[in-house]
Amino acid sequence: MKELIEYIALSLVEDPSCVQVRQERSGGNKIRFELRVCKEDMGRVIGKNGRVANAMRVLLRVAAAREGKQAILDVVEPR
Amino acid sequence: MSEEKTTLEVIAPTVDEAIANGLGQLGLPREMVDVEVLDAGSRGLFGLGGRQARVRLSIRWAEEGQSKSSPAAPPVESPAPKNEEAPAVTTAPVPAPARTEPAGDEETLRIAVQVVSDLLERMKVRARVTADYVQPEEGGDQPTVMVEIQGNDLSILIGRRSETLNALQYIANLIVGREAGRWVPLMIDVQGYRQRRERQLRQLARRMAEQALHTGRRQVLEPMPANERRVIHLELREHDAVSTESVGEEPNRKVTIVPKK
Repeated sequence: MKELIEYIALSLVEDPSCVQVRQERSGGNKIRFELRVCKEDMGRVIGKNGRVANAMRVLLRVAAAREGKQAILDVVEPR
Repeated sequence: MSEEKTTLEVIAPTVDEAIANGLGQLGLPREMVDVEVLDAGSRGLFGLGGRQARVRLSIRWAEEGQSKSSPAAPPVESPAPKNEEAPAVTTAPVPAPARTEPAGDEETLRIAVQVVSDLLERMKVRARVTADYVQPEEGGDQPTVMVEIQGNDLSILIGRRSETLNALQYIANLIVGREAGRWVPLMIDVQGYRQRRERQLRQLARRMAEQALHTGRRQVLEPMPANERRVIHLELREHDAVSTESVGEEPNRKVTIVPKK
């Protein structure tokens, strides 16, 4: 699952240096992923009306279902 | 005097673009041709189902002497059209310039297969991926890269209302576009699903049109993604007695079929 998010993010950004995916188990079979990218690349991984991020969530759902899990993806503003 | 009529028909989104394309292909200035607008085209609904404009350009041979282009090389010998940015279809009876396929290269296919395989691998889906070029039915566009995914039990890749397939296609399209360095029209199909679905949708469109006429009432279809609504609009575009429109917000946008008054 993590590799999927990383692959898509790295393929879409201009600057791969700040791409970071953090994974935290939020109990049971739920997993939450936090995707960070450079400020200038936020638009590329979110898309108009969140279209890119939502498509990533749909694909992530498939990957998670493969392992009998549920996954949540948040795109987080860089600090 | 043999009045030789050399004509070129051009199809493009608008009349102006069609004329500009045609002149580019002929390599002639505007005043050297007569323009006849065969079809002004129409926008259609939401940019869907619109008709392209069609114009016929006739070269004015009579004026060739005045404009003094060298007689040995008639102006028809045009420079190669810039296909990259002017993907106009030409149905030319006479001076059809050699049409080189834009984007018709193997490298793009290789990238497409690689990107889709990479995505599937990371989604833990085992499948066979192939790609080829197809000509879009709606004239004018450059060839579309068609990626086929074959394997066992791939319904997980289609999802409800083909949500997963469309997401995969959207993401793959973005990545392939970046790697190829230009936008590439790309479609993904799983086990021939899109083809089957399109056939069903066409049948559904005709059946619901019948029903709209029979009952005299507008028929509201199930919510569908944009590419499926498009199939319905196109199927009924030429229908004399009904018209179609999409209502509602994504993802619950629905086609309605309305009997014409």
